[in-house]
Amino acid sequence: MYAYNQYDQTLVDQRVDQYRDQTRRYLAGEIPEDEFRILRLMNGLYIQRLAPMLRVAIPYGLMKSDQLRAMAEISRVYDKGYGHFTTRQNMQFNWPTLESVPDILADLAKVQMHAIQTSGACIRNTTTDPFAGVSADEIEDTRPWCELIRQWSSLHPEFAYLPRKFKIAVSGSASDRAASQVHDVGLHLYRNEAGEMGFEVLVGGGLGRTPVIGKTVKKFLEPQELLSYLEAVLRVYNLNGRRDNKYKARIKILVNALGVDTFGEMVEAEWEHLKGGDLRLPWSEIDRVKGFFTGPDYLTADHAINDLEDAFAQHPQFATWYRQNTRDHKQSGYRIVVVALKNQLQPPGDVTHQQMDGMAALADEFSFGELRSTHDQNLVLADVAQRDLLALWLKLQEIDLARANVGTLTDMINCPGLDFCSLANAETLVLSRQINETFDDMDYQYDIGDIQLKISGCINACGHHHVGHIGVLGVEKGGKQVYQFTLGGSASDDASLGKTLGRSIEQDQVVVVIGQILDVYVEQRETDETFLQLVRRVGFAPFKERVYGTHKRSAA
Amino acid sequence: MALIKDQQLSLDHAVTPELRFADWLSDGLNNADAVLANGDDDLPSLLSHANKLSMIALEFDTFADGRSFSMARMLRRAGYEGEIRAVGDVAMDRIDFMQRVGFNAFELRDDQDVSEVLSKFGEVTVHFQPSADGKGPAYMA
Repeated sequence: MYAYNQYDQTLVDQRVDQYRDQTRRYLAGEIPEDEFRILRLMNGLYIQRLAPMLRVAIPYGLMKSDQLRAMAEISRVYDKGYGHFTTRQNMQFNWPTLESVPDILADLAKVQMHAIQTSGACIRNTTTDPFAGVSADEIEDTRPWCELIRQWSSLHPEFAYLPRKFKIAVSGSASDRAASQVHDVGLHLYRNEAGEMGFEVLVGGGLGRTPVIGKTVKKFLEPQELLSYLEAVLRVYNLNGRRDNKYKARIKILVNALGVDTFGEMVEAEWEHLKGGDLRLPWSEIDRVKGFFTGPDYLTADHAINDLEDAFAQHPQFATWYRQNTRDHKQSGYRIVVVALKNQLQPPGDVTHQQMDGMAALADEFSFGELRSTHDQNLVLADVAQRDLLALWLKLQEIDLARANVGTLTDMINCPGLDFCSLANAETLVLSRQINETFDDMDYQYDIGDIQLKISGCINACGHHHVGHIGVLGVEKGGKQVYQFTLGGSASDDASLGKTLGRSIEQDQVVVVIGQILDVYVEQRETDETFLQLVRRVGFAPFKERVYGTHKRSAA
Repeated sequence: MALIKDQQLSLDHAVTPELRFADWLSDGLNNADAVLANGDDDLPSLLSHANKLSMIALEFDTFADGRSFSMARMLRRAGYEGEIRAVGDVAMDRIDFMQRVGFNAFELRDDQDVSEVLSKFGEVTVHFQPSADGKGPAYMA
């Protein structure tokens, strides 16, 4: 993976000093509250309900084992011994003090990490496919391009005070595992009919109050002009995006107001000034960055492969885990292992410091010392030789991370909700607890199969409920926390927005309703039909009938 | 009000232009030396008439409004060589970014300490993107 050179390290070190001075002046009363709010947010520091929350950037979800160890240590020294992986592949610490943040940043800088632009109205961490560079269905590795975007967007002087936050996601496979269609800009790496590699550029996707699927603004972008085109998009947005109402300030509102064609013409007009200029990437630079992402030193297939049939027979649960949590690798003899951060006892995406240290050790032992975080709040060991899978599985059990539930109902996305977040209207963690208690039969989950349950504690939709096959949105009505259901959403290549099922449900009935929805699926599915396919085929009527026809205790 | 120009404390007393760009435009571009503009003004007009002016003051109405960053950048790209002055909510934590996009003069907010502000130029020396300061990205060095 990418390793800092003197420029990267200097930038991060100087940024730590800069933020340390800002914190000092704020605490001395020299920076007004409103102004410091903007400055601290640009460095990932929120003030939450109970304490500050620091979001640390994991550029495109890629980590070295030493970096995860450093985060474990930070969680011990400055926090309560755990961290939380977000849907944008970052790490959040829930309990640091404001005064300690400069020291945390200095510790992060020692392992080539930072919190630059993890919040605020600026260009955020670029995210991508957690299987980039290893998946069997990949067209082109997205990581070098993400790194180039990271560099260009870091401390960009012109785009630090945008109308609103700006998120970019890059996908390079037929299956979109980066939710690129619900980002401000989604980039699809592909080869055109002439066999040339380039980007399809989508713009104006997003969730929140106004969920929108991104629209194609450029069908084929020459890769050397990636940064010049992005700069043109950002400049048009910075000058024209609404600033009068924060709920109307995202680029999706601008694109919808102008129409994507007009918006695209404005970008092209600006791009005329930029293409072929200083931002055009020379191949020497592209190749230099690509050089950091050549594959590791794989064993040859005959050394990597070990017949697993005996192990499967001896450990039926290992066979289940293999089927559920590992994926095809482009390298013969290797598997991609998804480590679900979704056990019965911890909130989705949470990891303890022991688990972080444990995962770092397993990465060193079995996956070339690297890990990835995923959009659905799991971890990935991307390069595990087949012969090591049983040993890995046994060791994952020791740190409670061997649950074989990837892709199932309990592999849900969940925002922290009212337990932590100052924006939330309703609790969400209580729901994940109840769901785990109610649907504890794994055979039932396997029978239900591929299903994405996504839960948000407010309309800002950090839990991505709009694109869940089943979405749950917490709202407050008359002092009570109630929950709205949506069905039929997807964040993948067949992206769609879920539609509201009906009136809201009381908290203690949420698991009942999920059970009813799944009952309809089990009763009406055809052979091999997934839940999402069934919803798209039969529509909402049978679900409405089941949930509201018999449901007596629903809220108003 | 302190004025910093070309990274030095200016001895001139800072006088913000009273003439708004929009008025100058509607009054037929009468002879004026300096105008005050902000993100609500028509940028193409400003770009095409900039060379008639020796100073353009760009307003930061609020700390969060970043339009003037792009305006300064585009004025420099259009070849404007006069003074681009930041006025309004101008504080030390953004002065380096302002300079990079093309501002060369700064009317400081009253609470700003001049010597501290001057120390903020070049606080981060590594740049990963070209800007109006003429420097290319670090990897091109």
